[in-house]
Amino acid sequence: MRIKNLTLGLLITVLAATSLASSGLEGQVAPDFALKSSTGENLRLSEYRGNVVMINFWATWCGPCRQEMPLLDELYTRYERVGFSLLGVNIDDDSRRAMQMIEDLGVSFPVLFDARKEVSELYEVEAMPVTVLIDREGNVRYVHHGYKPGYEDKYLDQVRSLLRE
Amino acid sequence: MTKTLISLIAVAALAFSLTTVAEENAEAESREEFRSIDKDVQSLKKEVLDLNRDLFLLEEELLFPANSQVAFFISMDVGEYFELDSVNIKIDGKEVANYLYTAREADALIRGGVHRVHMANLKTGDHELVAIFVGKGPNIRDYRRGATLNFNKGIGAKYVELEITDRVKKQQPEFVIKEWE
Repeated sequence: MRIKNLTLGLLITVLAATSLASSGLEGQVAPDFALKSSTGENLRLSEYRGNVVMINFWATWCGPCRQEMPLLDELYTRYERVGFSLLGVNIDDDSRRAMQMIEDLGVSFPVLFDARKEVSELYEVEAMPVTVLIDREGNVRYVHHGYKPGYEDKYLDQVRSLLRE
Repeated sequence: MTKTLISLIAVAALAFSLTTVAEENAEAESREEFRSIDKDVQSLKKEVLDLNRDLFLLEEELLFPANSQVAFFISMDVGEYFELDSVNIKIDGKEVANYLYTAREADALIRGGVHRVHMANLKTGDHELVAIFVGKGPNIRDYRRGATLNFNKGIGAKYVELEITDRVKKQQPEFVIKEWE
């Protein structure tokens, strides 16, 4: 019984610490990085300064990611011409599976490959998907963990408010 | 009676002009105060920026003291034979830097920019540097070449330049590692 309580207490502490660590990014300058994209170019986050940027961490084995990505693509298509950029960061070990999924889903936003998991570590990504919103000054403003239907409405409001700034 | 009326009007006019002058003085004073506050704010801002710059330099000096500091720079003198994609640097067998260049950054290098790709602290003595360049070579083929330098780190900072130049004779890019004196 004591061991069970101890384990439960430890689990709660770890979960709380994790959520605190991730939300600790909010208000901080977004860590810069460069990754190879699905089109072969290298893309660097800091070159998007001046735009509102959404970074979406995903993996091919993640079910909610599959649900979310087409909705993100709609957001991207709608607001790209007014200064919104979306970078999908795939963390699969093998980028070929990711390329196949991009094709199946028909997404048009740039997808970057983080096979070494360096960027996902930088952004303290523990579970998929994670969506980070960065303002025009390069600061992290919102971090969303996971995806449930309806989250896209929150994204829409936040993107619109950041675009208006 | 008329005299009293005239006196009253004169006093009223005087009082009014005195009030107007007082108001004008108060306005001028507040404008002056505002200017002075604005000046103080501007000078405070400048002090904060200066302090920020000093702290940044101090932090760099603490992290990379000059006597053990080694800095590595990338430069390019190409246009035809090599399109840079990334650089990987190993010192004494250990990977210390892996930098991906965007199109914009590669263009800046071609235009004469120099990029400080890595800074480290190294003990005095012999060290081995291996740099691997990845990009597109002649005929847009994938290209991967390395260059090695064995150097001795003495007392004092050391600067190493990794230069990529066009080698017209062989129609190949050439990678040269140079130590700055």
